[in-house]
Amino acid sequence: MAEPTVRVSGIVLSSLMFQHGNTDSDAEGLVLGESRVEEQITISDSQADRINIQEIYYVQKHIACNKLNHFYSGAGEVNSVAVQKLLADNKQDSVLGWYRQRRNSDQQLSFRERIVHQSLKASLRNPHLLFLLLTPHRASSAESTHRTEYCAYISRNSVFLSVPLLVNNLGLQEPQSYWKLPVGRPSERYSATIRRHSSSFFSSDGLLRDVNDVNAMNDSLQEELQAACREVEDSERQLETLQSEVSALRKRSRERRKKSEAAGRTGEEEEDQRRNLRLQEAVGALFKRSPLFLTQTLTLQGFPVPERTFSGEEEEEEEEEEAVCEEDEAECEEEEAEAVCEEETQENTHSRKRRREMAASSERKRRKSES
Amino acid sequence: MNDISPEVALHRISPELRPLLCSVVRNGRVGLDSTNCLRVTDLKTGCISLTPGPCCDRFKLHIPYAGETLKWDIIFNAQFPELPPDFIFGEDAEFLPEPSELPHLVQWDAGNPECLLQLVKELIQQYHHYQCQRLRESSRLLFEYDSLLEDPNYGRNMEIYAGRKNSWTGEFSARFLLKLPVDFSNIPVYLLKDTALDPGEDVALLSVSFEDAEATQVFPKLYLSPSIEHALGGSSALHIPAFPSGGCLIDYVPQVCQLLNNKVQYIIQGYHKRREYIAAFLSHFGMGVVEYDAVGFTKLTLLLMWKDFCFLVHVDLPLYFPRDQPTLTFQSVYHFTNSGQLYSQVQKSYPYSPRWDGNEMAKRAKAYFKSFIPQFQEGAFANGKL
Repeated sequence: MAEPTVRVSGIVLSSLMFQHGNTDSDAEGLVLGESRVEEQITISDSQADRINIQEIYYVQKHIACNKLNHFYSGAGEVNSVAVQKLLADNKQDSVLGWYRQRRNSDQQLSFRERIVHQSLKASLRNPHLLFLLLTPHRASSAESTHRTEYCAYISRNSVFLSVPLLVNNLGLQEPQSYWKLPVGRPSERYSATIRRHSSSFFSSDGLLRDVNDVNAMNDSLQEELQAACREVEDSERQLETLQSEVSALRKRSRERRKKSEAAGRTGEEEEDQRRNLRLQEAVGALFKRSPLFLTQTLTLQGFPVPERTFSGEEEEEEEEEEAVCEEDEAECEEEEAEAVCEEETQENTHSRKRRREMAASSERKRRKSES
Repeated sequence: MNDISPEVALHRISPELRPLLCSVVRNGRVGLDSTNCLRVTDLKTGCISLTPGPCCDRFKLHIPYAGETLKWDIIFNAQFPELPPDFIFGEDAEFLPEPSELPHLVQWDAGNPECLLQLVKELIQQYHHYQCQRLRESSRLLFEYDSLLEDPNYGRNMEIYAGRKNSWTGEFSARFLLKLPVDFSNIPVYLLKDTALDPGEDVALLSVSFEDAEATQVFPKLYLSPSIEHALGGSSALHIPAFPSGGCLIDYVPQVCQLLNNKVQYIIQGYHKRREYIAAFLSHFGMGVVEYDAVGFTKLTLLLMWKDFCFLVHVDLPLYFPRDQPTLTFQSVYHFTNSGQLYSQVQKSYPYSPRWDGNEMAKRAKAYFKSFIPQFQEGAFANGKL
């Protein structure tokens, strides 16, 4: 069902109020303008296609009556002749409705207003007739401020419904109102001038020329954008391929390294040992004769053991002797520990005993080495 | 809302409209409840503030109807006083009377001071039809209305207010206000005139409120004009029965009517009986009558003598005589009490029957005096002092 809305410019509304402001009684008259039906399609998340039909009444002009009850009787019967006389040169089709301004009364239709409205609807054969009710009253006791409430009404099935009365450029404006065709009171001169210059701005289909240019530019931009998108897609695919190759190569190199690491760990140890022998040779070559850098084996008496070239067997024997010496030393240490507990008079004896025993062992070694 | 006295309202109204408003505030009694005149509030003007006063030409009119008060805006134009007024019917936005049913609107005569009042009455009549139409929302209440309408005793004197349907509970309520066809004209004048208020017309209104459409919650109430209430013995003298469960108005209203009629008849008969009683005593005691109430016949004083003993007898007749027995007060002319009053004795129990006529009552009273006086004399001598 169409939702009716009444739109009036600030000039028309203020002229209405101004006229009543200077009248010493209530005022009434006719309102003229044009009506339009608009279809609005809105797309939302819940509904793909919602059609909203709006009936918009544009009030452009008003004709005031010189006196009250001018075009109707006390019982509310409309006098069609009086209405036509009131319209004068204006067309009956341009009549949107009528208005009444009642000072210091409620914003509510009165008995006679309802009767007159129904009668006027029948007289003008306009089922969508509007009624504008303005009710000014003082807002302050000093009568310095006055407030005018206004509302529009339309009759549907003998029930009066209030209709939003919106003033252009007053209050919050929805964006759509800025690009709709302006509805003014078109004069002939205005229309002729527009027609003379319209070809410079409008194409044959009624659209602005610039609109076509902008559309063409938009198309070009769309094409460029699509080409750029394709290039980006290709480069992305190449990048992806390269990345997969790189990751495969890395994986192979890791595996190879693992294998080489496992095989090469023992080689490193030998290398370390070789390096140590070389160091030893180098040091030996440089500081062969320096007794400070030579390691010496000393006897128990503290005399160095002469150097010999060692073979493997001799090395084993030397190791055995060293082990025996270590055992002897351990025994001696135990005996020393026992000797500490005994009297000092026996120390020398023990020490002599130790020395004798140690001398015996070294003698054994010496004999072994001579053999 | 500011209450305005009729004088203030007439002072502030535009001079051309004053006669119209005068008849409304002075003589404006509409509807069944016409004990009070119509009230006017919220006087305003449709002129600009620079217009010199008085120039008020619109106001709110308060109209009693079916126990409610309708508040209608009446709008004139001071600059065009010859034009008929416009109306805003308050909360009853759907009420739209047919203009052809309002002859005083169609033939508006600004020069006729009664024109506005007559127009208001016609509108109320239309409003009544509108309310009756709204009863169609409840078949039960419509039945009540139709059944009462058939009875000419009640159908012509009925106001109905169909309440708003409660959008929350879905309940629909209505109130019936009926003027009971009781004749109060024979009530003795003396019973009616001693009221502080202007009695106006003597009416008895029965208000029956239906709180739900199925008539399960029904609350009746009887309203009497102040003079009638006084004549019947006050607000506590008359108790109407409760509305019977499952009952209907066409049975209940006549029952209340009969009860009220009986009461009124009893009052009237009581008056005649008292007059008869006094007349009989006058006849029997002749010169012994000192004084008596010649209007209401409620009191009689006798000066009697028995064996050189003089005494006074005051007879007080109650409102519901002869059902209630008169009170006899014997008073000695010689003896005083300690407080300085004449010695007296009150007798309420003596041979009496409400079925005796006045003559018989006088004879029996005389016999009783003779039998009681010796005893009274002894008492006076014993307890009183000269």
